[in-house]
Amino acid sequence: MNTLALAFRLARREMRSGFSGFRIFFACLVLGVMAVAGVGSLSSALLTGLAEEGRVLLGGDVSVHLVHRAADPNELAFLKARGRVSETISMRAMAYALKNGREEERQLIELKAVDGAYPLYGAVGLSPPLPLGRALACNSSICGAAVEQTLLDRLHLPLGGLLKIGSAEYRVTAILAHEPDRISGGFSLGPHVLMSKDALGRTGLVTIGSLIEYAYRVAMPPNASIQRFSDDAKAAFPDGGWEVRDRNNAAPGIRRFVEQVTMFLTLVGLTALAVGGVGAGQAVSAFLDRKREEIATLKSLGAEGGLIFLIYFLQVMLIAVAAVVVGLVLGAALPFLIEAFFAADIPAPARYGVYPGPLVLAALFGLLSAVAFAIPPLARSREIMPASLFRDVVAPTRARGRLPYLAVSALAAACVVGLALALAPSLLFAGWFLAGAAGVLVVLRVTAFVLQFLLRHLPRPKRPGLRLALANLTRPGAATSAVIVALGLGLTLLATVTLLDRTISAQVKDNLPTLAPTFFFVDIQPDQTARFDDAIARFKSARDYRRTPMIRGRITSLNGVPAATARVEPGSRWALSGDRGITYAATPPKGTQITDGEWWPANYQGPTLISFDAELAKGLGLKLGDTITLNVLGREIPGKIVNFRHVDFTNGNQNFILILSPGLIDKAPHSYLATVRVDDADEEAMYRTITDKFPGISTVRVKDAIAQVNGLLQQLSDGVRAASLLTILAGLLVLAGAVAAGQRARLYDSTVMKVLGATRAQIAGIYALEYGFIGLATGLIALAAGTAAAQAITERVFAVAFDFDPGAVLATVLGGMIATLGFGLIAAWSALAARPAALLRYP
Amino acid sequence: MQAIILEDVRLTLASAAGPVNILTGISLSIARGETVALLGPSGSGKSSLLMVAAGLEAPTSGRVTVAGTDLTKLGEDALARFRRAHVGIVFQSFHLIPTMTALENVAVPLELQGAKDAFARAAAELEAVGLGARLEHYPSQLSGGEQQRVALARAMAPRPQVLFADEPTGNLDGQTGAGVADLLFALQARAGTTLFLVTHEETLARRCQRIVRLKDGAIVADTRAEAA
Repeated sequence: MNTLALAFRLARREMRSGFSGFRIFFACLVLGVMAVAGVGSLSSALLTGLAEEGRVLLGGDVSVHLVHRAADPNELAFLKARGRVSETISMRAMAYALKNGREEERQLIELKAVDGAYPLYGAVGLSPPLPLGRALACNSSICGAAVEQTLLDRLHLPLGGLLKIGSAEYRVTAILAHEPDRISGGFSLGPHVLMSKDALGRTGLVTIGSLIEYAYRVAMPPNASIQRFSDDAKAAFPDGGWEVRDRNNAAPGIRRFVEQVTMFLTLVGLTALAVGGVGAGQAVSAFLDRKREEIATLKSLGAEGGLIFLIYFLQVMLIAVAAVVVGLVLGAALPFLIEAFFAADIPAPARYGVYPGPLVLAALFGLLSAVAFAIPPLARSREIMPASLFRDVVAPTRARGRLPYLAVSALAAACVVGLALALAPSLLFAGWFLAGAAGVLVVLRVTAFVLQFLLRHLPRPKRPGLRLALANLTRPGAATSAVIVALGLGLTLLATVTLLDRTISAQVKDNLPTLAPTFFFVDIQPDQTARFDDAIARFKSARDYRRTPMIRGRITSLNGVPAATARVEPGSRWALSGDRGITYAATPPKGTQITDGEWWPANYQGPTLISFDAELAKGLGLKLGDTITLNVLGREIPGKIVNFRHVDFTNGNQNFILILSPGLIDKAPHSYLATVRVDDADEEAMYRTITDKFPGISTVRVKDAIAQVNGLLQQLSDGVRAASLLTILAGLLVLAGAVAAGQRARLYDSTVMKVLGATRAQIAGIYALEYGFIGLATGLIALAAGTAAAQAITERVFAVAFDFDPGAVLATVLGGMIATLGFGLIAAWSALAARPAALLRYP
Repeated sequence: MQAIILEDVRLTLASAAGPVNILTGISLSIARGETVALLGPSGSGKSSLLMVAAGLEAPTSGRVTVAGTDLTKLGEDALARFRRAHVGIVFQSFHLIPTMTALENVAVPLELQGAKDAFARAAAELEAVGLGARLEHYPSQLSGGEQQRVALARAMAPRPQVLFADEPTGNLDGQTGAGVADLLFALQARAGTTLFLVTHEETLARRCQRIVRLKDGAIVADTRAEAA
């Protein structure tokens, strides 16, 4: 304790010399902590919003989803016994603009019919602000509908205009500005339209077998148990095919997305912290170099190594704490900045505020990083020999600190990694990310070492400028290694993200349209099939036409084990939640690749047999001969898996994970799904013909859907790229720090060069060579590492062919080089501006 | 009773051009309270010998006993504790800590010893070297002579058994140097401290009781001052 008090006293005296050498250390730490704290705070604001608004987003305390069928009277009675109930019915349909009694522009819509109780929680936003009941009211001839502004824009229809949906007409009475439960509805292919249940009946589109979702939301009394509801529902309707969700998990997709983006951005923040750490270590080393004499003096007066370590450790940690506090303040402010400027772009409700959890976490990350990076140079300082006071030459010091110190540093680093992994929703992703970053760090460090070694052993060039530039790169304490490592990591991340973005957007924008069909047609009724086939066949360019029966159902158990409790890989869980498309076929559909087992005989009519997706089967732990139970239209259908198929989800075609043998499933009411490709010239004509002749069939233009997905991807990749710029910024700080640290030596060099007759242009040329070389080397290493990482990710994770984009990559290399060169020349400028006499008079 | 005993001390340092033999078998014994000057040309190994004797550098071979302790058996931290208790050092270029006032500089070794009255004693020491009015001045605010007097006060404050001085007047002009030398010998005489003085100035050396001459890392003469 006495030692600590003494160390504190001596540290306080030491600090009188100020902290000018610590600006970069401070900035690096602030940046990293700010990033982690900001991301965490924003994420907390979103997750808290999702949790608090759960019942509004879900539309009730619990919600029960059924596909193809409405709840029967028994089921309704069960629901009504547990609270207020609201029924909504959702489907896709085509809407036509009615102008002068004619059907003009048309558009696929997401149609939702609501009852009088809707919404149980929250409010629908309409413009003009009519009561919902009035906006959706019907008279004998026409009903009102509230539609999103985009629909009016696409149909060129004014407010008050007429729509035709199915066989009925509707008047647009209001613009749907806010739908409280929209977020729990999932991906939309078209603008939303709200109407009454009554009005939906008039469309004539509601037939058994049509793809219709029925949702029942229940507002339960305040003290009612959600768990009890689920248990009772399972007991009362074990075969009901109910998909029950509750307010605690209203938007699982959004929540997962927020969690995953948070994880990624936190990891990027940690990378920035690691990059900054390289600079921090460099700053501490430079600081201790300046303090060499004081340290040796204290030692000669009898100070032990431990005390020396403590004196400087306290100073460094004091700065670290100050930096962490500043970082936390800035990070905590981030959600408020987002609220002020981008509130409208945030798709989920957010509770902006100060969240202590992420701030504590960011502080921990910051302090642990500071400890990890500052201890190695500090440990070296305790090894400074007092004998160095007597010699002009630098007394040889141990190259490394003692083991216990290095162990503490390693422990702090391990804590950062451990904490990051423990908190990541996906251990696998976080693990790979951190392993990748660590791998790149090692590669950069080794490359920097090899490069310096080679330069040192190269024959010295004859030109003095080149010779000095090369010597500067390899002299003891040169910034080469730190800059390559720090800037290299950021550039590698940027190169990886850029290449990934190019590959995936090329896949979606260029490759997918060449593989995917032009149209998807949904809800073709059995009595329309012949006419529909004929209508398609009239187009000469129509090809790859496939019409498949489709019915939706849920997998309720695997080998008798309920789906909810079955042990499956997390990546395959999706197949068991919610309903899936199911088809049946007597013979293998064209292009089927059976990987194992046999297809059933063409005339087979016995108990249901199943052909299953081979890849998914692995994740679900299924083998040939296993039993899957499906719930279709409230009926349980058990089936035996007799073969596995390869299903390619990347081509945008009809893909069914389940194909059943006919005999039972084909007796259930169902509709058909069709896909077709046509030449661009015929696309518009086919769209108009089919939508004219079959107003009840939903026609999806794949092009539009792809554009929508691509837009989302673009936003995501822009965000990711912006985040990776953070690490570049940290790298630039390190670069600036390294340049500043070498400034004295540079001033001396340039003075001597001037005395010997070098012009300022010649000296500037030397610096340009030196920094240009570091920048080029860093850019090239980042390019190689980034390409390798992006290739591995595209091929292993996305399973698509890697698409190398030289343009994007060249930008990375050049960017790195220009940044390094720029900073180097700024430093050179001040060195060149100094007058030789001033320096020579007072060396 | 001997304050310093060196037995066949050798020191070899590595350099880029190969190993350099700095000390080549030094044996020397200095009694308690004795004042000894180590005289020799530059590069003769004077400062290295002082470093070895003060426990600042470990010899390559041989034995160093100071104040009854075998320094060659001590680790780095034990050496630091030993210096703290038994040894004071004055450097040619003062080596005051620039961020500390004169008072704080003198107090440091006392604080390291854990002395509760470190500052009172430090103030008294500064008073004794004639700097009672400059307690709160920083090294940069003091002249060279004043800085060396602070360094002297710092070295003598813990009442060391042995005072090592490495060219203590080397960075000072003649008159100031003489003043510092007077002070050095006065403080030594008052406390009865053993003095081990490294210098290349004959006149300063002559003020010691004994003069040891060094050349190329070996003792070439060891005489009483009167006979030198």
